[in-house]
Amino acid sequence: MMAGVAVPSVPTSAGGQERPERERIERLSQAPITFDQPDPDRFDVRGVPVLLLEDRDLPLVTVLVGFEGGYGHFPREDYAAATAMPSLLRYGGTSDMDPAAVDAELETYAIQLSFGSGGGAISSTMNTLSEHLEVSMDIWGRMLTDPGFDTDEIDIWRGRQLESVRRRPDDPSTLAFSEFNRLLYGDHPIGWEMDEADLTPEALSRERLERLHRRIVCRDNMLVGVTGDVSWRELRSVMERLLERVPECEAPLPEPPLPDVRREAGVFVIDRKIEQAVVVLAHPTDLPLADDPAYFAATIGNAILGAGGFSSRILSRVRTERGFAYSASSLWTTPRTYPGLLGAVTRTRPETAVSAIEVILETMRELRSQPPTEEEVTTAVDRITNGFVFNFDSPAQIVSRTMFYLAQDLPADWLERYLRGVQAVDARGIGRVFADHLRPDDMTILVVGDAERIGWEALESLGPVSRLDVPEPGPPESGPRGGPVGGVGS
Amino acid sequence: MREVTLDNGMRFLILPREGAPTASFVLQFGIGGVHERRGQTGIAHLLEHMLFKGTTTIGTRDLEAELPLFERMDAAHDTILSARAASDSVRVASLLGRIAALEDSARVFVDSNELDRILATAGAQGLNATTTSESTIYFVELPSARAELWFMLEADRLANPVFREFYSERNVVLEERRMRVDSNPGGTLYEQHLAAAFDVHPYGEPVVGHMGDLERMGRDEVRDYYLRYYRPNNAVAAIVGDIDPDRMEDFARRYFGSIPPGDPPPAVTAVEPPQEEERRVEIPWDAEPQLRIGWHVPSALHHDGPVVEVLSTLLTGGRSSRLHRRLVLEERVATSVYSSIGPGRRFPGLLQIDVTPRAPYGPGEVEELVYEEIARLARDGPTPREMERVRNQVAAGGIRRMQSSIGLAFQLAESESLWDDWRETFRGPARLRDITEEDVRRAAEVYLTQANRTVATLRRAAS
Repeated sequence: MMAGVAVPSVPTSAGGQERPERERIERLSQAPITFDQPDPDRFDVRGVPVLLLEDRDLPLVTVLVGFEGGYGHFPREDYAAATAMPSLLRYGGTSDMDPAAVDAELETYAIQLSFGSGGGAISSTMNTLSEHLEVSMDIWGRMLTDPGFDTDEIDIWRGRQLESVRRRPDDPSTLAFSEFNRLLYGDHPIGWEMDEADLTPEALSRERLERLHRRIVCRDNMLVGVTGDVSWRELRSVMERLLERVPECEAPLPEPPLPDVRREAGVFVIDRKIEQAVVVLAHPTDLPLADDPAYFAATIGNAILGAGGFSSRILSRVRTERGFAYSASSLWTTPRTYPGLLGAVTRTRPETAVSAIEVILETMRELRSQPPTEEEVTTAVDRITNGFVFNFDSPAQIVSRTMFYLAQDLPADWLERYLRGVQAVDARGIGRVFADHLRPDDMTILVVGDAERIGWEALESLGPVSRLDVPEPGPPESGPRGGPVGGVGS
Repeated sequence: MREVTLDNGMRFLILPREGAPTASFVLQFGIGGVHERRGQTGIAHLLEHMLFKGTTTIGTRDLEAELPLFERMDAAHDTILSARAASDSVRVASLLGRIAALEDSARVFVDSNELDRILATAGAQGLNATTTSESTIYFVELPSARAELWFMLEADRLANPVFREFYSERNVVLEERRMRVDSNPGGTLYEQHLAAAFDVHPYGEPVVGHMGDLERMGRDEVRDYYLRYYRPNNAVAAIVGDIDPDRMEDFARRYFGSIPPGDPPPAVTAVEPPQEEERRVEIPWDAEPQLRIGWHVPSALHHDGPVVEVLSTLLTGGRSSRLHRRLVLEERVATSVYSSIGPGRRFPGLLQIDVTPRAPYGPGEVEELVYEEIARLARDGPTPREMERVRNQVAAGGIRRMQSSIGLAFQLAESESLWDDWRETFRGPARLRDITEEDVRRAAEVYLTQANRTVATLRRAAS
């Protein structure tokens, strides 16, 4: 028996098992796919776009709503309140129902609700059995437009955030990302991390919350999407009732400020005695998302560099070849109004941290000096084109995407343009975009790990090293019922 | 549902659904951490990784050239074991270097990650795998028109795997362990709590494996384990999506039919003796405190199995649950509290409660309140309203579960693999209807006692 080969202990039957052959794999991989690309219908109700995609598969209706207006639009003193908004809309009750009564109502009708924020917007999704659509829209509408901001709930949220601030240094990965953002973006919303000073009782007063709520939850900022077991005829009046509750915006949202992004190279270390170091490295770039060959070349180039999983160079070098790490990937962000970041992240034991960084930088230099292979380009593009059908896997996904394009001012056919754009990418274009934008010598490098085991000298071989000290959490404030009971850890 | 059982014992559950022309595939082997013996922990998880390294056809440019290099690497590995035993660290280092050099030279014959590339090029999404206490599960989604590719590639790696890049992948698993456990306070808490709670039963061993066991594991040992147990008779495949059951059945028979069966998984004969008194573990760590409490409870098969699940939901399921309400909302000594039953369901496990204390309160205060609430539940039982809430949650969850093909495929494969009946996926609501308030009260009284609990606390060492 040959070493390392699993040979069946019993001979295969005369029919044999069909072994894969390259030609058959090729043929099966390219079996043609045809599918519908359903498009939501658009209606306008009181000036608010409402998208609808009917789907009668299950007796459920999903309604998605987005309000532009995340914390990035407001000054730092509103940071906590803007961040708390989704959670307090969900848990803070309404003006005429306390939080427990709201929960009881949701449970009675088995309504599933989520509230969140992201991309500079506040979003909420409501999923209900179609038979309960009216009552669900009613309670959800009241939560969105007539919040109670229960003071106990505010305090609970605040306590949670304070605890989260205390715990941020506990996980080296959380610590690394938050400190890196701070390094690169400084005192700009992207670089902000919640601190105790942001979480005073005044920062979360009901007056402040109500003021922010009026600025954000208003019709000019709003988008709605619906999918499921409902037609426009069935939906129209209940949607009109919902939107009647939402006032016009008093004023447009303030423009978010532009960040001043760090451009100098440097090596930063946060010394923690842990078994595995976290590495984040990046520099700013100016390549916005657009229907432009450079953007598409960057997308495919980034997949080849390190964002395409096992087919990508960074993961295969750092993990498959060297066994340095379980995870290693590149990143290339492309915001449209301010600089993005181009870089990589990985985690590895301290002794191999600097080697892993060197492998990553070397991989970057290669792609700067020589275009990728045709095969790499084909693999990355095929992954997108052949997986295209998965963009239509669920109606909720289709509606959500259409809402996103509307909110971002992208053309309605952005997905098709994206597909055409990546299909037109070639190796030369990728070589060009890396030569123009990728600067491995200009990286800001942050390492969270055991500096002694990593080696100060090894770190210095990467560039001048600065040590970052992360302050210890301060003594906790007294509990809600007075002084600490028995002290921390008793 | 089309159910197919091949002569070699492999089972297929094929469920067509309308929608986008995609198909979800979940292949579950009934072998996991719990089947490992002491000294061999982590082998199932390492095998999970190795199954992505290719076969006699996939992933190689020249199989004949690769194999002699494997022999030399494996010989070096065997020598390492004796060098370690003799505490000869210089020799160990030199041998590790030799293995690394041999893998480097073997690399020219390897087409790394070819499986991933083939599937990605065909439009696959979410190719991955996971290992649990009781199972090893491989999953992926494909455009339905390319379903045959799954059968071809999956059958090939079941019958003809080659464990190339073995030693570097073992290093990757060590890094994974470092990421999930050794540098992660929550992961360390989890592992040490289980180790303290179980004296005898393999539930107390980590699925990712102990560092020492992994470092000693060689290719032959892993291959032999694979050949014995990862066989069609231990495998269940669930396929859900826009597919034609006749075609899927035909592919199943054509590609998997001739693979011979093997041994059933190793019997798990260890029976954890009843715990006689409370166990406590303190884990010093430079981090804010965390608390985990676990009580021994019966398996899912026991008549109290579903009762314990209701108990868990009552304690922490949702905002009006007993512990969330008392600890997070009323007393505010914690920012979160979760419960679960684990690490597996086939054997008697633990009802586990995880709490994040809120400064300035510590694990001590939190514990007191947890035990107060449990005592109340054990004395008075739940209210009819609470029981109604649990039933509603489960019923609504049943319909919502149908929204995701891959989610459904996971549940079907799990039910069939663990309980030999895919219909278990849908029996939750009916089973709950038979459980009374008194059943739940009694379970709290019988199982959630001081003697039966193991408590692990993680916090900074006292200065």
